[in-house]
Amino acid sequence: MFDLLPHLLNGLTLGLLFALIALGFMLIVGLMEQINLAHGSLFALGAYVAMQMMGSRPPLPAEMAKAWLALPLGWRYAATLVIAPIVVSFVGMLIEFCMRRTYGKDPLYGLLLTFGAAMVIEELIRLVWGTRDYVLQVPQAVSGGFLFGELIWSTYRFYAAGIAAAIIGLVWLLIEKTSFGATVKAGAHDSEIVRALGINLSRLRLLVFVFGTILAALAGIIVAPIWGIRPHMGVDAVIPAFLVIVLGGVGSFWGAVAAGLLVGLCVGLSGAYASEWSLLSMYILLVAVVTFRARGLWGKKSVLEA
Amino acid sequence: MIAAPTNSPDAARLVTPTMLVLWLVLATVPLWIARIGLYPYLGIEILIWSLYALAFNLVLGTAGLPSFGHGAYFGIGAYAFGLCQFDLVANLWICLAAASVIAGLAGAFVALFISHRRGIYYAFMTIAFGQIFWTLAIKSHRITGGEDGLLKIARLPANFGFVSFDLTDNVAFYYFVLAMFAIGVAGLWRLVNSPYGRIVAAIRQSETRAAHLGYNVWLYKASVFTLSAAISGFAGGLFAMAQLAAFPDVMSLHQSGYVVMMTLVGGGLVSFWGPVIGVFVFLTARDVIGALTNAWMLYFGLLFIAIVLFRPEGIAGAISAMLQQHSLSALRARGNSAMRLLLGGGR
Amino acid sequence: MNKHRISRRSVLKGSLMASAIAGTGSFFGPWQENRAFAQAKPIKLGLTCDASGQYGNSGQDDLRGIKMAIEEFNAKGGVLGRKIVWTTADTETTPATGSRIAERFITREDCTILIGAIHSGVANAITQVAAKYGVIYLNTNSSAPSEAGENCSRIKFVWDGNGTNFSKASVKNAVDSIGKNWMLLTNDYVWGHTTAAATKAQVEGAGGKIIDNLLVPQNTRDFTAYLLKIQQAKPDVVATAIGGDDIKALREQVSQLKLDGKPAWINNQQDWPDVWGAPDSLFGVFGTTWYHKLQLPGVADFVKKWQAANKDGPIPVPGNVSYNGYMATRELLRAIERAGSTNNVKIIKELENLKLSATDRMQHFDAYMDPVTHQLQQTIYLARRNAKPADNTDLYELISWTEPKSAMDDAAAGKCKLTPYEQVPTVDS
Repeated sequence: MFDLLPHLLNGLTLGLLFALIALGFMLIVGLMEQINLAHGSLFALGAYVAMQMMGSRPPLPAEMAKAWLALPLGWRYAATLVIAPIVVSFVGMLIEFCMRRTYGKDPLYGLLLTFGAAMVIEELIRLVWGTRDYVLQVPQAVSGGFLFGELIWSTYRFYAAGIAAAIIGLVWLLIEKTSFGATVKAGAHDSEIVRALGINLSRLRLLVFVFGTILAALAGIIVAPIWGIRPHMGVDAVIPAFLVIVLGGVGSFWGAVAAGLLVGLCVGLSGAYASEWSLLSMYILLVAVVTFRARGLWGKKSVLEA
Repeated sequence: MIAAPTNSPDAARLVTPTMLVLWLVLATVPLWIARIGLYPYLGIEILIWSLYALAFNLVLGTAGLPSFGHGAYFGIGAYAFGLCQFDLVANLWICLAAASVIAGLAGAFVALFISHRRGIYYAFMTIAFGQIFWTLAIKSHRITGGEDGLLKIARLPANFGFVSFDLTDNVAFYYFVLAMFAIGVAGLWRLVNSPYGRIVAAIRQSETRAAHLGYNVWLYKASVFTLSAAISGFAGGLFAMAQLAAFPDVMSLHQSGYVVMMTLVGGGLVSFWGPVIGVFVFLTARDVIGALTNAWMLYFGLLFIAIVLFRPEGIAGAISAMLQQHSLSALRARGNSAMRLLLGGGR
Repeated sequence: MNKHRISRRSVLKGSLMASAIAGTGSFFGPWQENRAFAQAKPIKLGLTCDASGQYGNSGQDDLRGIKMAIEEFNAKGGVLGRKIVWTTADTETTPATGSRIAERFITREDCTILIGAIHSGVANAITQVAAKYGVIYLNTNSSAPSEAGENCSRIKFVWDGNGTNFSKASVKNAVDSIGKNWMLLTNDYVWGHTTAAATKAQVEGAGGKIIDNLLVPQNTRDFTAYLLKIQQAKPDVVATAIGGDDIKALREQVSQLKLDGKPAWINNQQDWPDVWGAPDSLFGVFGTTWYHKLQLPGVADFVKKWQAANKDGPIPVPGNVSYNGYMATRELLRAIERAGSTNNVKIIKELENLKLSATDRMQHFDAYMDPVTHQLQQTIYLARRNAKPADNTDLYELISWTEPKSAMDDAAAGKCKLTPYEQVPTVDS
């Protein structure tokens, strides 16, 4: 039993990361009923922009770069966590502008559009940063390892899981406890109600999409030190994100979080006890659940199942 | 979505004029393909992928079911063809049949799990199964050769009893694939325009209504998926012959995504021929642009976005819109002259 | 349909005649060298290098080495008085693309030799097409043992050391000096399994014991579960056979935890383009076939020339991948010169008898092409992270070099069956 404990703990931290990766995807699916396959590319862009900012040659004029590099690593990292997602959000805006033409049509078109966008972004990443790998520097305080129960654990992993939990909590508060959340929930997709309330619908959709983009980019920055940065890292992220949403059920916040944790536990435990099946385990989990439950764990009715 | 026109007189035919013209044009390809800077092998790939995309469109276009893991069945067909050749009997017909039967069985198995699901849930179940099959193909390297591939697959001779054709040469193999393609096209056309095909199309319009009319929706969804998997597997068997090998990569999500793209770019949702057009455009563009730049995906991605935004019904849709407009104005012109004749005659 | 076969043969004959005429063209004597250079039909090479997919990065580094060798020969007047031209296309780390590009290069671009490989599936796909036409193919960098074993081919030559070579160079020493309890961490695909099997045999032969073999699925990004398991099992040595992007992720995670002291880690070959991306996370002992700071004659010169040719490239110095690409291409072009002909079988015979002095090879020992398996037998280096780097590219500290004979893969010869020369279709540019 004591042997099992570290793997449970590992599964939980991994699960929080999966939930974080799925968060932005979930918002856009749940609130706009659009499947954003460019989610992974925005995730990758977040990591790349952060890497560029944390690297030794930030894309700034010489004077500013000097001042920026003079800051302590921790400050730079904190600033990067804020700035990089904002930079990426402009790409999200661009995608949303294009996406407008597909609203009201079969959701398949939104999916296809973002699939195309994902292709283009991945190629652009390859053109700008090349095909090589990069490492994202993180402050000393959160790197390295610590000893616990005779095992060395990664500090960064727990930091990342903690951040993930915090972001998930904040997003929940924002949606459930603020007027912005209420408006959005009133139906970013249900145009009648929103118009009756006198709200600019297209601005609302843009906001939701940008918000989803920021979360994607943030997840990219958090996960990059563990996974590494390379052009096709986006594909590695979008599939688990999609899986977590479907497993949790479209339109369910806690469904997605629970699904993320479940997938993490499943991958973590199978990694320890049936290592060769660890990556397949999440697909088998999904098949097992969706075969018996029409809308995943706690899904709501949605146009995405028409 | 726009319904495919099923009421044209061609619907009742086994072979339509379009098919005849297409086959004739395709039959001349080896004579001029080198002159336009391409090569016979590309023709083979286009035909095989066209058949695969047509089979796929049975699910996506006709039945309206979003299947995003279809590469699995294409790949299974390729492996089945190779394994049949090595372990069972080196006979072209038996091994092609094995390719489609094994892929069809895999499709039927998956259909059991997914046919009562819809939309996004259906889509991701197909992805999950695609990933499972793909991983198994890499893992079971004792059977499949893993990432090294199942190598040394032969292009078995096409033996008709009284005469046998050697297919090792690309041009000979091209004609063989063309014959298979022609049969496949005719068969699919009949299928789509049969009562069965119409019911499947009705399910696409509304599952609930079809169920109210007394059709067993589950059975239709499951059978059309199985059928599509079997034909995809058949195309996979041909692909194994073309490549002389079978590899797990065609089963990956990436490659499954390509067939969706090709089908939609071509206009598979509005036209029977959409997938063929899409495959032709995709593979030719990849070959030509890919020889000029390594970033061909960038340009193709941009083209794809443009099509989704401005021509969501694909190239076939654009062509038919153009033709319709053309014939409308022609009609108007004819109408005008008739009026003038009438009025003029009155004077 | 038989007619088409005949017509293809007659086309082939036609091109043979054309090249025969071209051959006499350069026969008019050395004073017409320039004229001949302008007129003789160039020799065209198809470079099948990945630019995207998992090995896109390594594929492009391979390409840099290959191009450098070609340019060197062109600068001194080409080969047999003929210019060498080349074409390349992205093989996308995808076998199906490899097949198609090989068909394109051979049937449309008239390439008579193909060069370049990282991924064994892509290499096999290209080999199959090349073998069909009798076109020579140089597998520059795919290090799967099966490449020179069951998947060998008369027309294919393998230039990289493979998993077995590296295990043989490292394991015995480590069992004696570090400890007997070994754990294996193996990517769950062919290359991983064959490499792990070779390691296992070596460990047990040296009196060690394998306490566990953890199979890691391809595309694993998070190794925490495995690292915990390893810590719980407390082996003396962990031998990895993890490839591609997975090893990069593992490397980062191990070095972050500072787990690289105990247990000791033995890794298989590390490719320079992968290392350059994450230099801080090198760990354990690993293999390579070449290093740009080898204290051997010619190395410094080679590095300088390479740098001049790739000024603003993503990687500042040549590594093993680029080196393999260069060496393979240079030896091919030399073989054509020695054969005095571009006839494929003549070139193949030259390459099969290839002997390279240590100086010429820029390694510690003489190298030679094994005529039975078509794999180059060469010096195998073991290295670890350099604690005292001379500059920011000085990442390795070389700790041993093993001569080809002691690192040889003995099992390969039994698995490799080459087709007889008579059955190889004739190719001549």
